[in-house]
Amino acid sequence: MKDRVSVLQIGLVRGLFGMVLGVLIGLGLVSGIRALLGLPIWNPEAAWVVAGVFGTIGFMLMVGVLRDWIKWALGEETPDFPESDARLKGWAKYLSVSYDHKIIGIQYGVTALIVISLAGLFAIIFRTELIAPGIQFLQPQDYNTIMTLHGIVMIGGMLLGVGAMSNYLVPLLIGANDMAFPRLNAFAYWINVPAVILLVGTLFMGGLETGWTGYPPLSSRAPLGTQWFLLGVYFIGFSSIFGALNIIATVMKLRAKGMTYFRMPVFVWTAAATALIALTATQLIGLSFQLVMFERLFGMAFFEPAKGGNPILFQHLFWFYSHPAVYVFVLTGLGVISELLPVFARKPLFGYRWVALSSFGIALVGFLVWAHHMYTSGMEPYLRVPFMYSTLLVAVPTGVKFFSWVATIWEGKLSFETPMLFVLGAISIFLLGGLSGPPNGVVATDLHLQDTYWIVGHFHATMFGGFLFPFLAAIYYWFPKITGRMYNETLGKIHFYLMLPAFYVQSLGQMQVGLLGMRRRIADYDPALQIEFSQLLITVAAYVIGISLIIAFINFAYSAAKGKVVTTNVWRSRSPEWTLLPSPIPAHNYAEPIEVVGEPYDYGLEGAVYVRPISVVPLRNVSEAGLPPDAAVASAD
Amino acid sequence: MLRNFGRSTVRVLIASNHALFRHGLMSLFKKKLGVKVEIVGEVTNFESASEVLETQEVDLVIVDYDDNQLNREDFLTRFVGGGGQKRIILVSLSNPESAMLYDRRELPLAQFEAWFEGWQEAEERTSPPSGGAARRKNQTRSNHMKHFVVAGFLVIVLTVLLILGAGQVRLLPVAASAQAQPIDQLFQLMFIAIAFLFSLIVVFMLYSIVVFRRRKGDESDARHIEGNTKLEVTWTTIPLIIVLGLSFLGASSLAEVERPDPKALEVDVIGMQWTWRFEYPRYGIVSNELVLPVNKQAILYLSSQDVIHSFWVPEFRVKQDLLPGGEEFVRTLRVTPTEIGSYKVRCAELCGIRHAYMESPVIVVSQADFDVWVAQQTGEPTDPVERGRKWSNQYGCLSCHSLDGSKLVGPTWLGLFGSQVKLADGSTVIADEAYIIESIRNPGAKIVEGYPNIMPANVGQDLSDERIQDIIAFIKTLR
Repeated sequence: MKDRVSVLQIGLVRGLFGMVLGVLIGLGLVSGIRALLGLPIWNPEAAWVVAGVFGTIGFMLMVGVLRDWIKWALGEETPDFPESDARLKGWAKYLSVSYDHKIIGIQYGVTALIVISLAGLFAIIFRTELIAPGIQFLQPQDYNTIMTLHGIVMIGGMLLGVGAMSNYLVPLLIGANDMAFPRLNAFAYWINVPAVILLVGTLFMGGLETGWTGYPPLSSRAPLGTQWFLLGVYFIGFSSIFGALNIIATVMKLRAKGMTYFRMPVFVWTAAATALIALTATQLIGLSFQLVMFERLFGMAFFEPAKGGNPILFQHLFWFYSHPAVYVFVLTGLGVISELLPVFARKPLFGYRWVALSSFGIALVGFLVWAHHMYTSGMEPYLRVPFMYSTLLVAVPTGVKFFSWVATIWEGKLSFETPMLFVLGAISIFLLGGLSGPPNGVVATDLHLQDTYWIVGHFHATMFGGFLFPFLAAIYYWFPKITGRMYNETLGKIHFYLMLPAFYVQSLGQMQVGLLGMRRRIADYDPALQIEFSQLLITVAAYVIGISLIIAFINFAYSAAKGKVVTTNVWRSRSPEWTLLPSPIPAHNYAEPIEVVGEPYDYGLEGAVYVRPISVVPLRNVSEAGLPPDAAVASAD
Repeated sequence: MLRNFGRSTVRVLIASNHALFRHGLMSLFKKKLGVKVEIVGEVTNFESASEVLETQEVDLVIVDYDDNQLNREDFLTRFVGGGGQKRIILVSLSNPESAMLYDRRELPLAQFEAWFEGWQEAEERTSPPSGGAARRKNQTRSNHMKHFVVAGFLVIVLTVLLILGAGQVRLLPVAASAQAQPIDQLFQLMFIAIAFLFSLIVVFMLYSIVVFRRRKGDESDARHIEGNTKLEVTWTTIPLIIVLGLSFLGASSLAEVERPDPKALEVDVIGMQWTWRFEYPRYGIVSNELVLPVNKQAILYLSSQDVIHSFWVPEFRVKQDLLPGGEEFVRTLRVTPTEIGSYKVRCAELCGIRHAYMESPVIVVSQADFDVWVAQQTGEPTDPVERGRKWSNQYGCLSCHSLDGSKLVGPTWLGLFGSQVKLADGSTVIADEAYIIESIRNPGAKIVEGYPNIMPANVGQDLSDERIQDIIAFIKTLR
């Protein structure tokens, strides 16, 4: 009998079916209860919110990610080290629940690329509208919806990308066989799927017109789509919190023998700092959005001044998360830069301890700056100067990273394969983004810049430099390790040389038009500003970036299937996943436990060993450092 | 080597069993060596040497290390142990090309790190793997400074280029307010700092990309440099000082921007979806344009009728959100226009569908022109048509009668004068002056077909005959 996978065995398909079912049940439940209570049956706000909640629950139940927990609740046993369903082959495996952190990492990664592309498509749509003054094809109402979705969907995509890198890499880098909580890992991935569906669903519910920041009173009066936007973000928040918890537990408890905190690869430091922020701050956006939902559903008045509320309260609650959130977006990317530079420069990471601790410095200071988003909000004026001081302070640990990166490559022996190109590009772009920060951080100049395209230029540069370029670098770098095949280097270089200059044009263009008077979030701009040419350039740049990404996706897809097979340590990295594991990596990573006997970045130190399997017995009378470097590799075969 | 003692006289003790050796050294030291050598003592054995060292100050001790004659323990105790700084150099006839060195010092902890880091470099210098590599390494060592100097120079060049380049591009709109002065000064300072810091990092990066490339076929690693604490502290402290300084400047600028003028002109700015209204409480003026006298501070009291908006004129630089909620949420913004001209205020906080179009004219005029404008707004216009328009507004006519032909509660005024009007009782009249006067004084007398009889009878109570004439003049212009 042919062992064919029936479509219902694919988790995603079941999950979608479960979501539709949940939505219908939710609609029916609300309408039914209202009918029983003698109220008018159809209340779209209440009905669709409950439908969204039930839809998400339905998805999670039917995709199968709750199965083991339900079994425990019923007193049943489950295997300690669950294996993937053997019937699922190839891509079907990736569309179903797996507890293997590597599969989950790929699920996160591919979903991230899809979601980022979707958000990018939204951007291309409204950027096309902005080529000239006047409304060409996108009406203001639709413009506001598409612009809002570009923002929030891209944020979702970045969180997915951070999840991809953290979950795939952390266990490998610390010598562990999986995350501390594999089932929680799967849950944290899968909840993103219904959440993104809710976000995109807003398109069919009248849209929303608030920008991703969702300020009331506008958001309490905006169209119905606002509710699924608020709900979708709420569920994405669950993913952040649970994923972060998992990373922290894993880093604290599952490091290999001999791996002290200061002997971990530096990426693990950034993943841990990111997790600390995500674990503690995400609740605030959930709270602030939940309060707006209650305003809309129950007529409560947290932010409605006419009823005793305060609109500025929302902004404090919202930005208390959303500022630290930007460090969630970029810290792991900065960790990728720190991780890759030594490999391609053949030189130790300069000042490893300082770089490692700077991540926590950024995370800590990042919690103290949120009101710099509110200088013009009408909050108490005396708050502005203290927040200016704290905001500018973030430049100090960030500067430590920049100087350390330069010191790492200085007098190194650099080679320029695609991952290194993206890392170097990332540094220059993140630099541009970072340097455009102080004008916003200083209150007096921010009075001119707030809510203009300068701000848009600033955060696009920091996001591209701190997240997107490093994420792409990470994909190219670990591609052979993940797939066992090599990507096409020529296409990789074409991707880079299209994306970098295009991004500079976009960034500088945005900053310029912002200074000259272009506001944010407008479907149309005044020809009197005389910025049409810059707008055209920015749009063309966006298209070029899109094309370069299409080239990359073709490269990834083709190479994963038909690329040249590589199984060796192609980058001559000292990291354990390269020195001690084959490509692709087997199901439970390290067959034997490993131990750390040296420093991670001792390039240039003759005979220095970083990690080796514990089963290697040291020779008598020979010091550890004297072991020939081949010994570790030999025993790993 | 003798010169390295840094003294004009070097005190030397020679300790050797072999007379020939001692005499040879003595005659050597008598030669012209550029430094005066004082032979403090010439002893034949170790014990005598120790005695001399006990009593005299000696810079250099030359000891003939003879295992048979010397007590190793004593030697170690005297020369390797104990306190003080000692450098011990062992030379041997069997290996005349090199010397072994012991450099014993006690360092305070602060200096220890620097010494330890220098140690690694020294090690690589003194034990080259091969002759060629040694030569290359020595060359690289002398190139360190050269790389820094060249890169540093390029940083300055790029900074200057960027600053000059930025000057060629339109960056900021014309500065048209007093508040713009400190803000633009800060911008200038920041642009220069940004140009410098960008150049600093990017030049060093590009220099490395060009100069520190891996040579083809070179599989070896680069120098093993782990870090440098002094450098770390420096590049942490200097940015810290800079950001504290910038914050301080920022705070002073903010104070400057917010400086109040007690005699400022008060204007209430009311924002609503999606238009602006400006009220001048002192004059009782309500306007849809913000007219301001030049060189006089205006204090704007900002409030919103619905959602959050934001007041921004780019040429004025300063910006402030408008909040709903009445008294408690009114916020102020001080603007002192300095250039006569026409500007626009555009809403700078997303407020719904027509956010992009929420703009109003801002007109800065001379004080004299401003007074004329005030008089025009408060006093009676000289033109009867304008007066008529004003009464139509003020007395509420236009809430029921449109000017553009659309059907509101009452008949439109467009094309009314002189037209044939069909009445509810079937008869027809011509809408002449008498008709209009009657419609105002006695609204119920003639009802137009298709309209309700709800025009208030007392609406014309406060209207003088002259004012009604003005209204008629106004209606006459509506064709």
